[in-house]
Amino acid sequence: MIARQAAAGPAILEVRNLSKRFGGLWALREVSFSVGEGQILGIIGPNGAGKSTLINLITGHLRPTSGEVLVDGKDITGARPWVIAHDRVARTFQIVKPFRGLTVRENVAIGAMNGSDPDSSVGDALATADRLLVLVGIEHLADAAPSQLSVADARRLELAKALACRPRLLLVDEVMAGLRHQEIDAAVELIHRLRDGGITIVVVEHVMKAIVSISDHVLVLHHGTVLAEGPPREVLADQRVVEAYLGHRYARRRSP
Amino acid sequence: MTTAAPNAGGAAAILERHRHGRQERLAAWLRSRTLANSWQWLAGLVIFIVMLGLQQVMDPGTQRLLTSVFLFVALAQGWNIIGGYTGYASFGQVVFFGLGAYTVAVLMNNYHVSFWASMPVAILVGVAFAVAIGIPLLRLRGHYFAIATLGAAEGSREVINNMTPVTGGGLGITIPTFGAQAPTAYFGKPGFYLAFLIVAAGAVLIAAVLSRSRFGYAMVAVHQDEDAAAGVGINTTRVKVVAFAVSAAIVACAGGLYAFQQIEFYPTDVFDANFTVLMVIMVVIGGSGSVLGPLVGAVGLELLAQFLRVNLGTYNQLIFGAIIVVVVVFFPQGVVNFFRDAWRTRQFSLLDNVRRYRL
Repeated sequence: MIARQAAAGPAILEVRNLSKRFGGLWALREVSFSVGEGQILGIIGPNGAGKSTLINLITGHLRPTSGEVLVDGKDITGARPWVIAHDRVARTFQIVKPFRGLTVRENVAIGAMNGSDPDSSVGDALATADRLLVLVGIEHLADAAPSQLSVADARRLELAKALACRPRLLLVDEVMAGLRHQEIDAAVELIHRLRDGGITIVVVEHVMKAIVSISDHVLVLHHGTVLAEGPPREVLADQRVVEAYLGHRYARRRSP
Repeated sequence: MTTAAPNAGGAAAILERHRHGRQERLAAWLRSRTLANSWQWLAGLVIFIVMLGLQQVMDPGTQRLLTSVFLFVALAQGWNIIGGYTGYASFGQVVFFGLGAYTVAVLMNNYHVSFWASMPVAILVGVAFAVAIGIPLLRLRGHYFAIATLGAAEGSREVINNMTPVTGGGLGITIPTFGAQAPTAYFGKPGFYLAFLIVAAGAVLIAAVLSRSRFGYAMVAVHQDEDAAAGVGINTTRVKVVAFAVSAAIVACAGGLYAFQQIEFYPTDVFDANFTVLMVIMVVIGGSGSVLGPLVGAVGLELLAQFLRVNLGTYNQLIFGAIIVVVVVFFPQGVVNFFRDAWRTRQFSLLDNVRRYRL
């Protein structure tokens, strides 16, 4: 896919010099980037690169040590997660977090009752949930318990819960990890459809194939800093990125 | 996707919706009522009316027993809101019972305020104290919250105990109930039966309405996963504090009424940790996180305790404890939740149930 950054609208998410320190360890250091409206940004990086920390900082589940997060020009740095959710930022969790004891439909409805511009009654929220379950393709599991879902379906539930919050910016944390090829294709198609529906999307992912086919723009994190940034194919050809992912020896063998 | 997916832009279209006005929503709700989804409300109403009617043909002993059953129904429903639905097991909930009781007693005795004016104040005091200790304590999770609330209850009892000029301290307090001295005439046995029945019914009604509301779903979400709940826009701090306050209001209300019924009592009576323990046991055995669970737990255990007291004499407490242990082992999720799940899955084996919930 060609880079759409130039064509993208004004920045809906802007991260400036964001840092997070856990004790003596900098999980994230001076990270800056921006995402234009209607764009899909892919964030990749090896384990421990700081990808999930970055998402947690943006959504208020962690407070940054320093730096700023702006959503649509509004400073939301350090705000509580529900305040940020009401600012139309939604997320999925890397480790799925269903509300046990409720059905799949009710899980999604909770997002519709509490997110931005929420439904005013439980009945309306349940109706919204039913429509979203069709969108992500698990409407046949509406009355099931979340614990009965397969890995792929649990990820779809996470996505539906986030969508129920009526986001303008959606942060997707490793929604494809552990999925089979077909399931990944379906997830990629779904994310494209969400973008076409007007949602700006940040995808954190381990699966290379998915990132290349999905993203307009890619950011590579390594040891908490931005290693490379640009259109997917260029970034993946970058010598430093290959080294970070596959090690120095592999990089040397491959390069002329 | 394997299913027929909506066209591009589906996400936006799906989230579009028209707003309903209040009247429109009420009309829609009334239209949606059928026997299948209203029978629980009707059953509750029928039980309430039967309890009213039975009072006319009841002997005084039964009347006294049922009065205390109603008290525990209210207490268990109150505890279930914070401990069951929201998942914050308070081991100091008796503090609101004691505060409610002392507010009513002090107002009626020291200031000759009528019972009817004292009760709302008692509820307000309970709510205010819940908010005051809830904001710091509800940041603690699990055991830490349990221990902190236990400490708050023990500490409050000592404060009341030492405020002798106001509360009478360890010498106790007496509500004037007869003659010109009485701010409100004593209700007598039939009156308190009715009053506790109304408080219990009110508690059940509050729990039933809450559990079906957006707030009820928010409590369950906070219980299951606070990070995920906050992520979908739930103000978790507010949900926890409000749940704690509602729970406190019910318990304080029961405490205020209990004070008037007892006439004379001591700090150790109304701040008795046994009340908290019974609330917890009744909810856990009945089934937490449902309306029916605490109801079944409170009625079942209070009737059982009375039966054992009458028929076993000396060893009744021992047998009562043993029965609680056996029930908890076989129904770890609570009696009501077991039968609901068993009915749904058609698996009634108790041994399988024990295995499934083995900790």
